[in-house]
Order: sequence, then structure tokens, then C-alpha cells
Amino acid sequence: MELEEMQATWAQMSDQLEKQKQLTDKIILDMAQQRYRHKFSKLTIYESLGTVVCFTAAALIIVNFYKLDTWYLVICGIIMLLPLIGLPLLVLRSLGAIKRLNIGDKSYVQTIVDFTKAKKRLLAIQQLGIYMGFVLLLVSLPVFIKFKSNKDFFLMEKDITTYGLLLIAVIFFYFFSRWGYRCYNNITNSAESILAEME
Amino acid sequence: MGKEEAFVQVIKRHEGIIFKITTVYTDNSDDQKDLYQDVVYQLWKSFDSFRNESKVSTWMYRVAMNTALTYIRKKSRAGDRISIDKVVVKQTDSDHAEYQERLEMVYKHIHQLNLLEKGLMLLLLEGKSYDEMAEITGLSPSNVGTRISRIKQRLKSKINTI
Repeated sequence: MELEEMQATWAQMSDQLEKQKQLTDKIILDMAQQRYRHKFSKLTIYESLGTVVCFTAAALIIVNFYKLDTWYLVICGIIMLLPLIGLPLLVLRSLGAIKRLNIGDKSYVQTIVDFTKAKKRLLAIQQLGIYMGFVLLLVSLPVFIKFKSNKDFFLMEKDITTYGLLLIAVIFFYFFSRWGYRCYNNITNSAESILAEME
Repeated sequence: MGKEEAFVQVIKRHEGIIFKITTVYTDNSDDQKDLYQDVVYQLWKSFDSFRNESKVSTWMYRVAMNTALTYIRKKSRAGDRISIDKVVVKQTDSDHAEYQERLEMVYKHIHQLNLLEKGLMLLLLEGKSYDEMAEITGLSPSNVGTRISRIKQRLKSKINTI
């Protein structure tokens, strides 16, 4: 199809659209004043719920922190607290940054650049979340065993079932992270190519 | 004239722009309707800041295209499905099969372009000058020219390979 043919077809469509005005005053105002249903708002709800879960877990650790009576259990507790508190805040902040992009005042190119940068930041944080989740999985075991049974995971006798469960969890998480990493990587690469094209 | 009344008039006068942009950036009717609402919402939101410094249509293109960009952020660019669906067919309400075929072909070509090219192609089809395209996209007019000729070349090579 030649460009001229495309333009002619497009013009024909434009003419037809001109003839069939479909919007009424009410529809327009309803659309304008509706609650903003952005998919990122939905994502923010999910992330907010995740934040509540993380903060609840963090509160649980803080309340029981006195039970961690050795230096290595204290370190495990701190390692758990950092991502549980820090990561949700970082994710919510980056989501907020994307939502705050001012669409009205910017050019198309600037919006692409701003959005792509914000998206890359969000993806990097979520990618960090995957790695931190793996660390969290490992350090949560001694911490929660201490809270639940008052036993030191590093000193207690472990049976084959404990190791088996740990191994299964690690294997599951490894594949889950690999899948997640690949997904994020694909999206980040596409974001990077857009940025490269703008330069 | 009140703000609401003025806004409604502007939208009614240019509803075709919103329709065309939303069909270019989406590939099914649900997404198109969703994006349509988002665009109207964003236009309403920025209506106060629109000070007639540019043409109404220029402002509308800019806001609508920017809204579309943020809307499709989660869609895979590489795998754009060409399921023009009933969006075009239904809305333009034409029985002319040959015309529908051509229109779907136009959309197919547009959907194969990347984000920036898609926007430029849309404006090109709308008959915008390079200066207007530059004002909407934020590129310089010469850059617009370069990119448009690149799009034309790609289009030509595609036609030659068919």
C-alpha cells in the first residue's frame, strides 16, 4: 500500500467520522469527571496491599526482636527488616513518579523519555525485589524458627525434612526469580531501546 | 460560557481526533474505549492550563498522544497483535468491504511502527505540516522531516517485499 493510498483511506475515514458525531454532552462530562481509572492505580492498590503485608511482617519482627539473642540472629532480623520496610516504599515512590507525569504540558517525545526513565527505575526496583526476596527467604527461616520454637536454627539438629523443604524452597525461588528476571529484562531492554532512539 | 460547556464543545468538535488516536494505539475495542475515557479525562484535567497559545487541535493531539503513550506502557511493543477487531469497522460503519480492507491495511502498517514513528505517521496521515508535527511531538521540524522520510522508505521497502 502506497503512502498516498493510505492518506486517501485515512481521509475517507475522517470524513465518515465527521458525519457521525456520537458523543453527547452527558457522555463527555461523565468521562471527564469519572474517577480516574488508570491501570497504574490498580497496580498501586496491589502494591499497597503488598506494603501492608510487608509492614505487618516487619512489625511482627520488631515486636519479637528481643527474642533474637545471638549476634547472627540479630543480623538476620535486620536483613529481613530492611527490604520489608524499604522495598515497598521504593516501589510506591516510583509508581507515584509514573502517575505524576504531567501529560498536559509535555511534548510527545518528552513524555516518551520521562515515562521510559520512570519505567526503568520501577523495573530496576522490582528486579532488586526479586533478589532481596531470595535473601529474605534464606534469613527468614532462622528468625521465624527462633520466634516460633525459641530454637537456634544454626545450632539445632536438623533432620532431612528440614533440608528437603529448604532445598525445595530454594529451587522454586530460583526458577521463579529467573522467570521474573527474564520478564523484567525484556521490558527494560525495550525501554532502553526507546531511549536510545530518542538520543 | 462555562468551563463545562466550552469543554464539551471542544470535544464534540474534535471527537474524530480522539477516536483516531485511540484506534492507532490500541488493538481491541475494550482497550480503545478505556483509552478514550482516559484521553477525555486528561483533556479535562489539562483544560484549565490550555491557554489558546496553540491551536485546540494541536493541544488535543499532544494530550491524547501522551495519554496513549502512558496507557500502552505495559503492552509488549514487539508483539503488537494486529487484531483491529471491530473498532474500525463498527465505528466507521461502512459496508464497503474494499474500503474496510484498505483501512485495516493502514492500521496494520501503523501498528508495525515503533512508538515515535506511530505518532508521526498518525500526524502525517492527518495532513499535519512538519512544523505542527514538531510542535506536538517536541522534535525539531528538520528532525521530523528526517524521521518521516525514514518511515516512507521503510514503507516503500515493505511494499516492494510484498
